Amino acid sequence: ALSWTEMVGMSLLRAVVGIAAKLNPLKSRPPGVPLLARFQPSIPGVPVRCGSHGKRLFVMKPAEFYDKRFLKLLRFYILLTGIPAFAFITFINVFIGEAELAEIPEGYVPEHWEYYKHPVTRWLCRYMFDPPEKDYEKLMAIVNIEAEKAELRLLQLEARRVMRRRGDGPWHQYETLDKNLIDHSPKAHPDA
Amino acid sequence: MPDKWDKDVYPEPDRRTPDVKRESGLPNPTQLVVGLYHYAVDVPVTAFRDLIDRHREKHKYYYYHRQYRRVPDLSECEEGDYVCYFEAEMQWRRDHKVDQEIMDIIQKRMQACQQREGPSYIQNCAKEVEQFELAAKGYQARYAELGAHGNSRKCLMKQKHRMLAERKAEAAAAES
Repeated sequence: ALSWTEMVGMSLLRAVVGIAAKLNPLKSRPPGVPLLARFQPSIPGVPVRCGSHGKRLFVMKPAEFYDKRFLKLLRFYILLTGIPAFAFITFINVFIGEAELAEIPEGYVPEHWEYYKHPVTRWLCRYMFDPPEKDYEKLMAIVNIEAEKAELRLLQLEARRVMRRRGDGPWHQYETLDKNLIDHSPKAHPDA
Repeated sequence: MPDKWDKDVYPEPDRRTPDVKRESGLPNPTQLVVGLYHYAVDVPVTAFRDLIDRHREKHKYYYYHRQYRRVPDLSECEEGDYVCYFEAEMQWRRDHKVDQEIMDIIQKRMQACQQREGPSYIQNCAKEVEQFELAAKGYQARYAELGAHGNSRKCLMKQKHRMLAERKAEAAAAES
């Protein structure tokens, strides 16, 4: 582990060694080529000719990797089911097509799915959902059951009240002791 | 493509565009553009559409509008017959929806007439306006001020109050 002063010193030394290696007079160099690509001679008035697409620059900009990855993944997962769904629905709309409106013929009772227009709705209604008539009758059954329950509850309350008052019904009967166990001897002589 | 509207219901006024007299010798660029569009876009699309229509003509299937049977009204139900109340309520709701749609159509008719006639709508649209006013008065008398929780029972009570008010007004008119 180096301290920061040591690290700065090391990096400076490395830079100097690199420049010295490049500026080595013993190496043979082709004439006319500038010594270092960075240090181009800038004579004022003469355009710099690099020979390739401009001077290579190190452009400083924020990280694109995460954003690009997110957008790529988003597009991928949306289109994974989006394209088959789109193709399927387009195929159905173009080749099978929607139903046409017609008057109900005499003596014909249409099935419950024949009241819808789009073929997908018709299919779902036919194979997945209950017919609306069934739902209506289920609601009516619930209403009927609740009405009967309410009526029975009222009757039960009435029966309870009457049986409690009169005491001659099966409810509100309380166990009492046997009559023969009562000792009537204190009452045998009332005027004693 | 959607069907055009019924011309008897919403009649179009006669066109008054002036006749164009061409005075230039150059070809008309509009015709060129229209012709290009026709051959490049219109003809292939129409051909494809005709192909699909011919295919569909062979495999036609239909859908129908629901027809509901009439059930006894709320005023014809016995007291305590909750199933009868339920069916009467459902019928009232369906009728309410139908009345809303009728009002919508009459309103749209009046608006379309006003849009067509422009500044002279006051005398040309008198019939539509009168029809709308009649219908609106009836709708108001029946359904207005029942609120969001309006049901068939409240509507029946409103009718009862209306009839009582009428009777009172008649009695007051007979006295004076």
